[in-house]
Amino acid sequence: MAVCIAVIAKENYPLYIRSVPTQNELKFHYTVHTSLDVVEEKISAVGKAMADQRELYLGLLYPTEDYKVYGYVTNSKMFRKLHNSFTDVMCNPFYNPGDTIQSKAFDGMVSVMMVQAS
Amino acid sequence: LCRECKRLTILNSELFTLTYGALVTQLCKDYENDEEVNKQLDKMGYNIGVRLIEDFLARSSVGRCQDFRETADVIAKVAFKMYLGITPSVTNWSPAGDEFSLILESNPLVDFVELPDNHSTLVYSNLLCGVLRGALEMVQMAVDVKFAQDSLRGDNVTEIRMKFIKRIEENLPAGDE
Repeated sequence: MAVCIAVIAKENYPLYIRSVPTQNELKFHYTVHTSLDVVEEKISAVGKAMADQRELYLGLLYPTEDYKVYGYVTNSKMFRKLHNSFTDVMCNPFYNPGDTIQSKAFDGMVSVMMVQAS
Repeated sequence: LCRECKRLTILNSELFTLTYGALVTQLCKDYENDEEVNKQLDKMGYNIGVRLIEDFLARSSVGRCQDFRETADVIAKVAFKMYLGITPSVTNWSPAGDEFSLILESNPLVDFVELPDNHSTLVYSNLLCGVLRGALEMVQMAVDVKFAQDSLRGDNVTEIRMKFIKRIEENLPAGDE
């Protein structure tokens, strides 16, 4: 049974945190915060390329004296859009894997993303 | 499994789209000439059409059409819906009522497809023209079918133009091409 669930933004602040009501809820928040270090460690260990493309279930982060902490990282919308556009390019029957991507649709999507990011 | 009891099998549309794409690209490699590929697609479509009409008549229980206008409606609202899941609109009737256009907003055959520059004269979905021609021939109608606009080649919509040529005498057998 989960006693505490937290969703952490990439800026390391909680977007959502909820725990089972107990006397010492602060302890949970504390545990979540300290586990962020472990998350960062795990992400850098796995490698940047993989983290950008897929949802990462990080598994057991660390066991505390009473509880176990699990972690899960999701990519941002930007990477998901990129991945979806890439999949569309792959599905073009005229595209051979390994070719440079010359798709106008892909170019269009990247342009939109770059305008948004800047 | 008798036709009446046979339930419609749902086929994953991506597999269908990718299969058609593999077919077209293989033809392009084999013939290395867009015009020739267009012809082959039309021929293949014709062979599909002369057979598909039986399936269509059995499944749709549509009766004999009174005129070409009714044929157009049946093609757009029943046949396209049944086989491709889309309903093109019927427009641009000629004054004589022997020619009309089917406007396709979308086309499952061309999902994800982008024509490379070296295939600018390829009519990617030409199979459809052959299918329509073959199917109508089996119901005694000789028609001419071609693409007037193609979204793959830069047009806003895809437009198939169909022209009634003549009624075919019943005693002339039509064969495979």
